[in-house]
Amino acid sequence: MSDATAKEKATIKYDSEFTKKVYEMENGKWVKMCMQCGICPTTCALKEKMDLSPRRIIQLIRAGRKDEVLKANTMWLCTSCYTCACRCPRGVPMMDVMHDLRHLAVENGINHNSQAMAEVYAKDVSKRGRIWEGGLMLNYGLKIGLGNFMKMALDMQDVGKGLMLHRRLPLLPPKGVKNPGKLREVLNRAQEIAKKEGGH
Amino acid sequence: MKYTLYPGCASEGTAISYHHSALEVAKVLGLELKEIEDWNCCGATVTSSVIGQFAADVLAARNLALAEKMGQEDVVATCSSCYAILGNVNKKFSDEKFKVNANDALSKDGLSYDGKLKVRMLLDVMVSEVGLDTIASKVVKPLKGLKVAGYVGCQTVRALREFDNWENPTFLDEIIAALGAEPVPFSHKLKCCTGAMAISSADITVSALYPILKSAHEAGADLIVTPCPLCQMNLDAFQVKVNKGYGTNYNLPVLFFTQLMAVAYGLDSKKAGLDYCIVSPNNALKQFGV
Ligand code: SF4
Ligand code: SF4
Ligand code: SF4
Ligand code: SF4
Repeated sequence: MSDATAKEKATIKYDSEFTKKVYEMENGKWVKMCMQCGICPTTCALKEKMDLSPRRIIQLIRAGRKDEVLKANTMWLCTSCYTCACRCPRGVPMMDVMHDLRHLAVENGINHNSQAMAEVYAKDVSKRGRIWEGGLMLNYGLKIGLGNFMKMALDMQDVGKGLMLHRRLPLLPPKGVKNPGKLREVLNRAQEIAKKEGGH
Repeated sequence: MKYTLYPGCASEGTAISYHHSALEVAKVLGLELKEIEDWNCCGATVTSSVIGQFAADVLAARNLALAEKMGQEDVVATCSSCYAILGNVNKKFSDEKFKVNANDALSKDGLSYDGKLKVRMLLDVMVSEVGLDTIASKVVKPLKGLKVAGYVGCQTVRALREFDNWENPTFLDEIIAALGAEPVPFSHKLKCCTGAMAISSADITVSALYPILKSAHEAGADLIVTPCPLCQMNLDAFQVKVNKGYGTNYNLPVLFFTQLMAVAYGLDSKKAGLDYCIVSPNNALKQFGV
């Protein structure tokens, strides 16, 4: 832990509203169910890259340590691999809890590259109903900014070249659903219902 | 044997060889796969963080509604991620309130879903329905002496836990063996390849791929097979980055298991989709007429 985070930690206060907010989210009940046994961090493939382990995240949510939780990279690194969920004695679907936390982080103005990716992805879905993998990269590039994109393109050139040479990244979008407008109506209606029912 | 097929977006791009080889192999096996008409992206795990869980569920459910419209055949997905998403949503339809709400949204596109279909993964259908005996009976070029690392990946057997064993899965290895090849045990069979993180955090993906390739290599594998599009793409396309980053020299072809089946069934390399492989399998498969 860096000095800065240590200092920040010292000033962090208990925020019971935050705890309540997480409990009320779609997977909040699981945060209550966790018995802090510590099995999830021992099975998590990404643990070493995470600021806070999955178990610790839950502990800190309960302790109302909002800033530490929301600033962690943990939920962004969770790959939904289900390993911990299969082994958790309480059956906590950690990847779903992590999705709730991403939401909360975004709501609180915190962002991450994988959210940029998710947004590009969701946009393609609502525009065409299907993902055009070639265009995905391009739009993601636009989203993260030209400078970052150039850096990424350079870093990924071997990967991209292989995919291109073997015709794995279509240069033109494959056909989408017949009537994307209808699909958008379905999704809009779904979002309305979700709002009405509470949660997200 | 009839199913409706959910191809998934990867079938039109990075996993085109999975889609084509699966259809070719299904033909040989008398397995009828009818594509869901006008299917849409299942949304994967990422869409929910943008449009919310319920809308993401409805997005996935639209495919099940379309499948139901086509008949009563169960849905089969080739991609692990699609299978996990569609299967999870399908389960939610046993909750009456969810069903009513989801159908309310679906009605905007003139659709509804009753929740009666099952969602299966192709790997499961192959072993549990088609059967290993039938799979073996169609082999014309037994893959004798070929050592294959069957990389199951993470979500495949864990997401729904409805087939195989999720701590020690055997289905993939059993198919490899039915083709006459030798499945080699390796430690990272079930370890996550980090999936779509490959684009947003490539360095993390590379560090996850390294031990997977290393353990398959050390087990003496000639090639890797997998049932999952993202696993295939990551291991295949990023292998060059692993080699650069770790000073290794891996040259492990990564095939979809249906491509290996196609080879053993004597289908030509076009039908098997082998030239879509980035790490060429030609050397490893030369002895089998590829
Ligand atoms: S394995 Fe389950 S109960 Fe144990 S710490 Fe993790 S979430 Fe909590
Ligand atoms: S689901 Fe997420 S938290 Fe759990 S083991 Fe996988 S990456 Fe780690
Ligand atoms: S998860 Fe991937 S492969 Fe499956 S439908 Fe969605 S974009 Fe396509
Ligand atoms: S191993 Fe990788 S691609 Fe396969 S299911 Fe897991 S994250 Fe997805």
